[in-house]
Amino acid sequence: MSQRKTFLLLLPAGVLLVAFLAIPYVSVFISAFREPGQGTPYGEGYTIANFSRILGDWFYVKQALNTMLIGAVTTLATLVIGLPVAFQLARPDLKLRGLFYGIVLSPLLVGIVIRSYGWTILLGNNGVINRTLREWGWIDGPLPLMYNTLGIVIALTHVFLPFMILPIMSAVQGIDPSVSSAARSLGAKRPTVIRRVLLPLAMPGIQSGCILVFVLALSSYVTPALIGGLRVKTTAVTVVDAMIDTFQWPFGAALALTLSVLGGGSVLIFARLTRMKWK
Amino acid sequence: MTEVRLNRLTKIYSGGKPAVDSITLDIPSGQFVSLLGPSGCGKTTTLKMLAGFEDVTSGEIAFDGEDVGRVPAEDRDIGMVFQNYALFPHMTVQQNLAFGLEMRKVSKAEIKRRVQATLEMVQLDHLADRYPAQLSGGQQQRVAIGRALTIEPRILLLDEPLANLDAKLREEMRVFIRDLQKRVGITTVYVTHDQAEAMTMSDLVVVMFDGHIAQAGAPREIYETPKTAKVAGFVGQVNLIEAPMDPATPGHAATPFGPVPVTAPGVGETVTLALRPEAIDIAPAGVPGTPATIERVQYSGAIVDYTLRFADGTAMEVKTIPRHPFATGDAVSLSVDLARFRQLEREY
Repeated sequence: MSQRKTFLLLLPAGVLLVAFLAIPYVSVFISAFREPGQGTPYGEGYTIANFSRILGDWFYVKQALNTMLIGAVTTLATLVIGLPVAFQLARPDLKLRGLFYGIVLSPLLVGIVIRSYGWTILLGNNGVINRTLREWGWIDGPLPLMYNTLGIVIALTHVFLPFMILPIMSAVQGIDPSVSSAARSLGAKRPTVIRRVLLPLAMPGIQSGCILVFVLALSSYVTPALIGGLRVKTTAVTVVDAMIDTFQWPFGAALALTLSVLGGGSVLIFARLTRMKWK
Repeated sequence: MTEVRLNRLTKIYSGGKPAVDSITLDIPSGQFVSLLGPSGCGKTTTLKMLAGFEDVTSGEIAFDGEDVGRVPAEDRDIGMVFQNYALFPHMTVQQNLAFGLEMRKVSKAEIKRRVQATLEMVQLDHLADRYPAQLSGGQQQRVAIGRALTIEPRILLLDEPLANLDAKLREEMRVFIRDLQKRVGITTVYVTHDQAEAMTMSDLVVVMFDGHIAQAGAPREIYETPKTAKVAGFVGQVNLIEAPMDPATPGHAATPFGPVPVTAPGVGETVTLALRPEAIDIAPAGVPGTPATIERVQYSGAIVDYTLRFADGTAMEVKTIPRHPFATGDAVSLSVDLARFRQLEREY
């Protein structure tokens, strides 16, 4: 196919990307450096005041750090829970594969609002978990599971688990089984085979799973908004508050940009630290 | 140096017929043995049982008289080379070679020394810090062999190691592996479906069909005195002649070349004789011999293959150096040293 025809085929996707992704990003970037407006999205002139307001206010800094913490803990939790599941799902002799795939994907099959409300029923002070524990006499007062960071992490871990499991599973499936056999023939016992051979070879999947979950958790809105309520807000929730409720577009944009820089920076550092020379 | 003995070794996968059916085989210490056969003949299953990757259903695997059939692969002290090399992609050549020694808790200095020795042995010292993905197929193959040998295993197992290489490299690697094996002196079991590999490399060729050993012997013995038509055909081209007993000379079968002594069944029955295509001499018509007509000529430089037909309609292949410029349709005269005929066992 000629260059020209290839270009024509890329055109529809290109138009969509530019119109609905590139232009909005540029617009957010620019408005982050604008004066606040009166009855307009933003006013005349450029400023860095929005950023100094964020960095100068411990409230926003702390919130951003807490959001990063939620991202990191969610990533770690999905990794710890998902890694063994991914290894089991990757077994070539797995029976009922379709059923297990369905179970793994099930969090994604439920609408986000319904799923979050489901968690409020489970985690609330009068929720299923607290009430059961109280009836069993294990606790006196309700455990604080809702309207805090823990609740958000629990709910996010649930929904983002497939994004951790699937990349790891496909990486493990790509490992030549005779490589484990080779390790055994050289004297490695099962735990050593896992530690020295299988885990390092699953690293590309672990890396992409971690990046996916971290970025998704950082930018998630509905779950933190519903589970965190008014008590705990993530940066993404505050961005929406600023944009929609108080109509401070430049400030919201600056906050969003700050979160992107923090998230993107973390991802870069993580990718750098987990770089695989053999790839 | 380890002597290997398989005693009525059997592998039955759940509910199937035996993949390996009661095979018994003695491999003297330091020998290079090939398990040769078509796919599904049980050669790879036998190798996997030797390595410890497959459980033994019944029978015995003994290294120097010690039954190792229940010893797990990681404790069996074998060096294994896989068809696809199975190198650790995330380790450099050096790290691949060191892995087995690390498992054996060998000291750092000793590992360094032995890895260096192996690198020299497989001629890869200049590539020690490369990753497998940066190596050619032949280099990866040599790493795999080196990795199996650094641990100084009791036996070396190779599973079709040359199958993924191109023809020229395959021949080089044959020589390389054979020389290395001779130098190290390690008892080696080599699985292949390629008769040329088995014949050129081995001290002992074990031909397997359907989970059984059809014949085991030196390459020359297998080629020149095959027991059955299947063995004869698997290790080379062969003319099979269904010959009736000769009424005129008792104890002989009648062939187009004259009576051939056989261990007779009864008079009136037939025996199966094998004759290698290169055992037949071909000369222009008029020279004393058995007349035949050339039906097809396949000239390939060093040798030429003729398909010939006798007056009675039977066909025969002849392989010879191209001495005469015969063409299709030429009448020729054939002669054979009758001692080259082999009587084959009946297969039922």
